[in-house]
Amino acid sequence: MEWLERYRDMIPDFDGFQAVQSQPLPSSCRINTLKIERSALLDRFSDSGIDYQRFSWYPLGLKLNLKSPGKLVENLLGYIHIQEELSMVPPLVADPQPGELVLDMCASPGSKTCQIAQMMNNRGRVIANEPSLARIAPLRSNCERLGVMNVAITRYDGRRFPLRPVQFDRVLVDAPCSSEGRERRGPGVLCLSSSKRSMDLHRLQVDLLKNAIRLAKPGGTVVYSTCTYAPEENELVVEKVLDLARLERISIPGLVACPGITEWSGKNLNQELYKTARYYPHLNDTGGFFVAKLVRKEEHL
Amino acid sequence: MSPNSSGKRNIFEPLERSFVADLWGERFGIPESVFSGYIFFQKANSVWATNDAILPRLSYEAIGMRIMNLKDRPWKPTTSALQVFGQYATKNLIRLDADDARSFMEGRTLAVESDADSGYVVVFHREEVLGCGLYARGLLASQIPKERRIASIEQDAEHCS
Repeated sequence: MEWLERYRDMIPDFDGFQAVQSQPLPSSCRINTLKIERSALLDRFSDSGIDYQRFSWYPLGLKLNLKSPGKLVENLLGYIHIQEELSMVPPLVADPQPGELVLDMCASPGSKTCQIAQMMNNRGRVIANEPSLARIAPLRSNCERLGVMNVAITRYDGRRFPLRPVQFDRVLVDAPCSSEGRERRGPGVLCLSSSKRSMDLHRLQVDLLKNAIRLAKPGGTVVYSTCTYAPEENELVVEKVLDLARLERISIPGLVACPGITEWSGKNLNQELYKTARYYPHLNDTGGFFVAKLVRKEEHL
Repeated sequence: MSPNSSGKRNIFEPLERSFVADLWGERFGIPESVFSGYIFFQKANSVWATNDAILPRLSYEAIGMRIMNLKDRPWKPTTSALQVFGQYATKNLIRLDADDARSFMEGRTLAVESDADSGYVVVFHREEVLGCGLYARGLLASQIPKERRIASIEQDAEHCS
């Protein structure tokens, strides 16, 4: 918890931010419209007396007042997917359209992959990349349970994902990170945090994001997200690619976001970084998240 | 290099739609048109289905959904695939009431009277497909994969002991 002190000047209502860390995160799910209509699912929940609350900002998101939502028959049949509330933001920012070609560069366990497939109505193609062999099984299992047909899984190191034969309409980089925003889900992640760890991740994240931009077609969208607060893994990563892509402002009505920071540790950062979005756990009763929306510049890279 | 890492096992070979549609038509009476819009691949004994969209030349771990296993006779449909295509079945399907549906989702074998032929069947509760069952001589054995079963009360008790 002491580690979070470094964010005292960065985060509004810092005391509230600290206080919420020890409160467990409510579980939540996304309605999988590839298998069931929203109204039919809500009827089912009401009929079985399942206690749920709608998200204020996303019609397919529900908070569940349950101990083991994974055991719900609706989950086992693929009508819902247990997914953290803010994890549903990056696919919405990426805004994939049916028929497009989309890359999810760091895909497992596939919550966002399947949300993207759903937004595309099982049309077009999603390439779900996951370098770790051990993490392929859960990714596959989630896709199959959710009735996803338009995903193909690859296992490249994202930094070296082949630039040919195609360019993607959209690329999502939900990067490996120090996961500070997950403290409410599993206390203890903060004990692992350090400047060195964030800087090691920073190098990986920059390389992933640079390749993602190269993989997008000119004018294509690249979304970068993490579940951490560390600027080294967020704005300082995005700042490194602003010669290749320009930032677009993110707006999710109903969800409280703070603009990305433009100053850190006494240094000024690129002023455009205010267009990125920071989501804090005490402002929405969620975990923590960072999202940036980039558009690849037309110029030759 | 171990035998399992030989390149051949890792290749997705394109498969004719009619090969798949004929088998599903023969066993479940599913019309061929249900499979239009999909393309099929075989890798080792597994058949995979995906939508008919661009598939860039990359090295794949999985393409779409694994829909059937050809290893044994008869071939076996996956529960995932039945949840997509099974709703169009016109034969070899079994409907369960709410209590039996629950037992089926727990992975049990049930006594069921049905005119289905012996072999794999599509199991329904009302209009919804639960998944794959194996039917023979009045017994229906649930083929729901372990990780997709609901926990039964007895199994929970065993865990505690």
